[in-house]
Amino acid sequence: MAQILRFPRRPLAAQLPAGVAVDSARKYLDTPIDARSDRHQSLLGNPDFLVALCGLLRERAESSPSTVAEESAALYQWISDSSAPLGLFDERDYFLGEAALLVGRTLRHLGERDEAELWLDRSEASFRHIVNSGPLLANVSYARLTLRYEERRFQEVAELVPSLIKSFDRLGMKLESAKARFLNAVSLKQCERSSEAVGILDELRQDQAVANEPALLGQVLVEIGEHLSVEERYVEATSCYRQAVPLIKQSNRPLALASLKVSLAETFRRQELLDHALEGYRSALADFAELGMSTYVAYLHVLVSETLISCGRHREAEWEILAALPTIEEQKMVPEGFAAVALLKESVRRRKTDPNALRELREHLQASK
Amino acid sequence: MEISDESAPPVRQEDPFEKEIRAVFQDTLGLIHIALVAHYGLEETEATELEKDLYVWFVRFCMRPGNRSPKESRPFLLVACCQFAREYQRYVVGTGVRGTDEKLSRILDREPAEVARDFSTSLELLSYRINRDA
Repeated sequence: MAQILRFPRRPLAAQLPAGVAVDSARKYLDTPIDARSDRHQSLLGNPDFLVALCGLLRERAESSPSTVAEESAALYQWISDSSAPLGLFDERDYFLGEAALLVGRTLRHLGERDEAELWLDRSEASFRHIVNSGPLLANVSYARLTLRYEERRFQEVAELVPSLIKSFDRLGMKLESAKARFLNAVSLKQCERSSEAVGILDELRQDQAVANEPALLGQVLVEIGEHLSVEERYVEATSCYRQAVPLIKQSNRPLALASLKVSLAETFRRQELLDHALEGYRSALADFAELGMSTYVAYLHVLVSETLISCGRHREAEWEILAALPTIEEQKMVPEGFAAVALLKESVRRRKTDPNALRELREHLQASK
Repeated sequence: MEISDESAPPVRQEDPFEKEIRAVFQDTLGLIHIALVAHYGLEETEATELEKDLYVWFVRFCMRPGNRSPKESRPFLLVACCQFAREYQRYVVGTGVRGTDEKLSRILDREPAEVARDFSTSLELLSYRINRDA
């Protein structure tokens, strides 16, 4: 068994009641990093404060990924650099693992996949040394699979996620198990195994753990809505979206809300309601931009461009492509769509946008969104 | 508007979760003490100090994401107890403050998780007896 404890170790910081720790953590996060005093920094040596700080960062990971990535990386660095003992027994490793996991999770949202993977490695390396590492290592595995999903390795996700679901079930982690089943469903959908995916989504819709988590239930409804929309069952699809809106809004998940707007816009586009579709795409684009999610912003520019071409607004469509291309190339979003990107660039340069190249690019991006 | 006329600061109500953690710890304390004193050979005062640390650690441990209820986390409390006791005694023996004997050497050679498993079995037997007699 791994060596867990180092000795001698005494409690070095005064205990903080949970409420006081949360208030302090909130004030700490409300203070800009460069305005923090030594007193702020000294709080980081208090494990009760760190429990509260990690809790708040977890809560905010979806709504403010760039802030959480920055704060969590700074926290990890502070703990790594500090020579003073931190907490009791395995707590230094625990906090390092938590901070690294938060950075990994949020960098994935921000499209920085290589960096995210490194942070997940760091998290795993720390969690291996703690007491009862199983649940936290399972959380890292989940984060790794979501990263694979972002990298369009859907077959791998579909193959590996059932084992993780088993682990979560065995560990009694009901919500995490539901999230993993959701990941399974969306991966199966990408592998063109829609009927299996819909079966899982229908089960999740009835699941008690999901019912207690409005954001997840909202996402399940959006996925069901998308499926219905593809089947041209627009009334039912709209009903699903309608149920999803308040659930997602109340849970303060701007990322899920932006995804819902995209799904709605796509439903409008399928029905040839192009002005509504444009409005939905642009609203989602603004949300993703605010969240600092550059790859999603680029994808939305491509969708807007395609819709504008359908409206005969070619000049505006070119602007959208020009806005998307730098990120698509910098982030290597479509390595296998290189030819489509080159064709598209050339056609835009000649001011004769090639709709086929644009469609091909969108299809590559769609699979990785 | 309602204005409070309290002159003293309000007494902090213990969170129900913390209350549960405290109860589980109290229930396990006897076994922890036996492990520390009778098996790992700690002095009474040393054991008492260690128990305080263990409690503080256990409260935060139970708050970690994914951990089960405090009651179900009891085996991990025993693992931490044995780990810490072993590290402590190794430190004390290693610095020459205290000598060792065969019994202490034997338990220090064993993996703390294994020792804790034995204690967990005792705990299960104990709770079985309590439940049966209740």
